[in-house]
Amino acid sequence: MPPSKRSLHIESSGQLCIYCGACVGICPLNCIYLDETRITFDENVCTRCEICVKACPVGAIAIG
Amino acid sequence: METVRTDVLVVGAGPAGSMTAKWAAKSGAKVLMIEKRQEIGSPVRCGEGMSKDWLQEVGIVPGKWINVEVEGARIYSPSEKCLEINEKHAGNEVGYVVERDGFDKQLAIDAANAGVDIWLKTSATGILRENGHVVGVKAKRFGEPLEIRAKVTVGADGFESQVGRWAGLPTNLQLRDMDTCLQYRMTNVDSDVRYCDFYLGSCAPGGYVWIFPKAEGLANVGIGVQVSKVKSPADAKSYLDRWIEKHPGYAKGKKIDMVGGGVSISAPMKQTVTDGFLLVGDAARMIDPLTGGGIANGCIAGKIAGEVSARAVAAGDASKEVLAEYDRGWRARFEEKLYRNWLAKEKLCSLSDETFDKVVDALEGVKLEKLTVHNILKAVHVKYPEVTREFEAFL
Repeated sequence: MPPSKRSLHIESSGQLCIYCGACVGICPLNCIYLDETRITFDENVCTRCEICVKACPVGAIAIG
Repeated sequence: METVRTDVLVVGAGPAGSMTAKWAAKSGAKVLMIEKRQEIGSPVRCGEGMSKDWLQEVGIVPGKWINVEVEGARIYSPSEKCLEINEKHAGNEVGYVVERDGFDKQLAIDAANAGVDIWLKTSATGILRENGHVVGVKAKRFGEPLEIRAKVTVGADGFESQVGRWAGLPTNLQLRDMDTCLQYRMTNVDSDVRYCDFYLGSCAPGGYVWIFPKAEGLANVGIGVQVSKVKSPADAKSYLDRWIEKHPGYAKGKKIDMVGGGVSISAPMKQTVTDGFLLVGDAARMIDPLTGGGIANGCIAGKIAGEVSARAVAAGDASKEVLAEYDRGWRARFEEKLYRNWLAKEKLCSLSDETFDKVVDALEGVKLEKLTVHNILKAVHVKYPEVTREFEAFL
């Protein structure tokens, strides 16, 4: 499967995510947004580079 | 859409933002500081350890936000040989463990007392430009869109700075330029209120484990791991949990709080101003890459940023040539140290546990006049010359 077809999943319900913003700061395309207790990303801009997966201290981001 | 006008707009009410706002107002400018959250200083995303010798320089008076004044730092090698550094030797690296939310609020109060207007629940959503100059931001205040126009716009929006990127400044970080951090506040632990403790080596690749005491039996126990050294998701948490498990004095403790975040450990930024705009604090990658501390540099740069912004307003010229005085100012004050500590960090990240042990072993019992990289290497050279061979550039 080409990388762009794989889907990024940010666990945003707070079960894992602690809304710390580490992924926001490292994202090379600036496509992750943190709004207090809501974290979202722009599917169209994201290239699935997986940098945010590594930057997340609690493992709340996965690419499947 | 509503449009408001001000001389200086500061985006973000952390320490660097409040300091910039305060000094701009004290220097005669009309200042608005906006904060996206509902509460300044909260939630805390910080280890809360802070040096203290710079406070007077920027006009901060020690207050109730101090939890503990430590006497020194203890640095532990991988085999847990301990190097104790007292206040005299560590210079500005030893100081307070603070209540960051209280500290941030005090700085905002200082800014307000200087005449700064503060808006909560107001986030920048984009940047306004005219003829290439930044002239303010698009924002939302309590959900209502508005334009805030300013002669000087200051990005003080922290590690995940958006406005810096919008303004076109090179804030991008590589994997090796960032530590991913996690911290628990733990109670019923065997921390010592006299010391901040640091554990180096493979327990925290490219970073360290810290214990910053908040009170008797209460401490911030945290870790930073270089992102380029992360092997699997949630490594920061796994490393920290493993460290706690191995230390009975902490394994018995209870966690009452958990915070995370990113810390830049990059070399100094090449450019922090553009026409009508400047960047300050963590947003400007001013964190010390060796210690991970960002408050002192953010505040020192903030004072310069505020003064220069007010001067630009008074002169009616906020071009990048005029704002470059800020860029030169902070560089003159601490760029060399940032760069040296970045080099030292790069080297430390490459050391094996065995070498770390030798370094700390060599320093045991040695009385250093002042704790500098140079002095450390000289002391290590006496006992393990083979270790210092790699560091010849520093000697």
